[in-house]
Amino acid sequence: MNRLRLRSLTSTALVVVVVAAVAMALIVFAGADPLVGLRGLVEGVSSSPYRVGELLVGAVPVAIVALTLVPALRAGVFSVGAEGQVVIGAIAATAATFGVRGLLGDAAPAPVYWLTGAVAGAAGGALFALLPAWLAARWHVNVILSTLLLNYVAAGVLGWSLRTWLASPENTATPQSDELPAAAALPDLIPGTRAHVGVLLVVVAVVVFEVWRRGAHAARVRIFAERPALARRLGATRTRTIVSTMLVSGVGAGVVGWMQVAGVNDRLLGSVSGGVGFSGLAVALLGGLLPVGIAVAAVFFSALAVGAVGMQSATGTVPSSIADVIKGVLLLGVAVVAATRPGLVAPAHAAPAPPPDDGALGADETAAATAASGEPLLAEASASEALDDHPASAASPAPVSTREVPR
Amino acid sequence: MTAELWVSILVGALALAAPLVIAGIGEGFVERAGRLNLGIEGMMILGALAGVFVAASAGPWVGLLAGAVVGVVLAAGMNALVYLLRANEIVVGVAVTMLGLGLSTYLFQLWIPAGTTNVSVDTLGRVDLGPLSEIPVLGPVLFAQSPVVYAAAVLLVLAWALARFTRFGIQVRAVGSDPISAALRGVRPRAVGERALLLGGTLAGLAGASIALGSIGAFTPGMTAGRGYIVLAIVIMGRMTPIGIALGALLFGFLQSFSLLAQSAAAQLPSEVYATLPYLVTLVVLVLTSRAELRRHSARLRTA
Repeated sequence: MNRLRLRSLTSTALVVVVVAAVAMALIVFAGADPLVGLRGLVEGVSSSPYRVGELLVGAVPVAIVALTLVPALRAGVFSVGAEGQVVIGAIAATAATFGVRGLLGDAAPAPVYWLTGAVAGAAGGALFALLPAWLAARWHVNVILSTLLLNYVAAGVLGWSLRTWLASPENTATPQSDELPAAAALPDLIPGTRAHVGVLLVVVAVVVFEVWRRGAHAARVRIFAERPALARRLGATRTRTIVSTMLVSGVGAGVVGWMQVAGVNDRLLGSVSGGVGFSGLAVALLGGLLPVGIAVAAVFFSALAVGAVGMQSATGTVPSSIADVIKGVLLLGVAVVAATRPGLVAPAHAAPAPPPDDGALGADETAAATAASGEPLLAEASASEALDDHPASAASPAPVSTREVPR
Repeated sequence: MTAELWVSILVGALALAAPLVIAGIGEGFVERAGRLNLGIEGMMILGALAGVFVAASAGPWVGLLAGAVVGVVLAAGMNALVYLLRANEIVVGVAVTMLGLGLSTYLFQLWIPAGTTNVSVDTLGRVDLGPLSEIPVLGPVLFAQSPVVYAAAVLLVLAWALARFTRFGIQVRAVGSDPISAALRGVRPRAVGERALLLGGTLAGLAGASIALGSIGAFTPGMTAGRGYIVLAIVIMGRMTPIGIALGALLFGFLQSFSLLAQSAAAQLPSEVYATLPYLVTLVVLVLTSRAELRRHSARLRTA
């Protein structure tokens, strides 16, 4: 364990060095001084309260999406649909808010707006997550692909909604909805910034997450990722695990959709998701699927995005898209670090594992078959040992990690 | 909807399907070898940028080559991370896509700073097959296409032959369907997996460059617009066979061409319906294939 920890720490340090080197190389390549760039980055984040507010506004949605994605990732369900779920949640929340105004008139109290908005957002996100979950449970439709494709469908629904039933009657340059009633907007947390009280929801998310992590469901989900047959005997069937974990991520993403509408823009815009879904996935992995890591990673991601604008204006030559490059390099680094920590990400069943077409059964089917016949899972375990350097098997059963068994 | 419109829809369908076929062939080998390349989107967009950048000084054909080189370099990097450092293939793939999208935008903005006009380069043009292209309907659809379309067709035949008649093709299938038995018979899963990904990366980069150089002749950030993901769906839909992949690509190409051209002509439906249709139909076909595959498997389990 000690050697493992050492290896993990060394690789983390290496990744940090590599990321810093890449960032420097990118700045130099753009013909600027890395020190000037760094100062621009820091000033871009910290120079005014407004910038700090932007940091929070950027970090919190990503953190919530990341936290609610963790159960699915732990189960090996690799959902990339948060983007679309945010969008559908935002549409549902907007529609519900206007519905409340229609029902109660302008006298509706703010909490009623907030509650309906949040519930509608959560319901919208959850429903949109349920579809791929159900498809995966029922017909083994690859979750990565179905959620990716549904993101495009969500974008289409958003575009259509903003043009038709949710369109603002005013003539606007970009398609957008009417402004929400003043009572529905979340009040500012820090005056003079875009940071709103919805930001505090991240605390709720962390608390719920910590409770979940120590509960039976979390344990079953982890066992499901490593030993599906055992998980079945413990009550975590494939269907139950996929649907429950995807629902959680849908609810989280949907609430984020509501937050973006009611807190940041006060109206529904075409850019409502703003890449929050993909950043959330990256941040969840980067944060090691744990709350502290996710919080740090989310703030870091947001700081990169906010600071890169500062860097662009300080150097004059470095495009702010440098933030996206660094995020990509970071995620690569995470993949390497995660490899030194067994059980961190266990996408054993996330890979589409295209069923081989000539006779042999895939690992999934073998497991299901042996589970059905009540035989032990020896074949699966020895197979992964025999073929240590094939990625398909390297991804499957990692030794059960004792690190985080709930006490 | 006039006849000419349908002809131009078909012409567009083939042109849009060709890059998907090229990348799909590569991904077909990757998935047959039991691996997965989620970095296709990143490889395609970087391939497109490299293609246009090189084509600006050396012509479109060298541009295509540059795209392929970028793809193979990225694939080699993925191989190193997955095999040497034992990183998770899915996370690495997602990261390569993020990196590709970010890096292509960054480099593009350095090359052409905001406010200056975009560089446009010579496209590959169209192959002129003389009298053949005069045939009504078939002429413009089949015999006056961009070279990319014909290259995709040639690659399809080559891929079929490679999968069927060569050592490599058989090794890929062996490793993908039963790595243990393959290893026991002296096939090295790692070496085969690495080669499959290198092939997949080369073709993904080439496909990206062909998107940019086929008919547009310029690069814009995010121009691959999720086609790398569509390739993954097509390969699963097509059960990893060249014919299946080609049919899947043609279906998506047709729907996309239809949505581009039909929405101006037949405006009864909202434009978003047309724009979403290709993705929605892809999802439906994906569901149907998964269902059929599952049934086949449970049937086999019962008889076994």
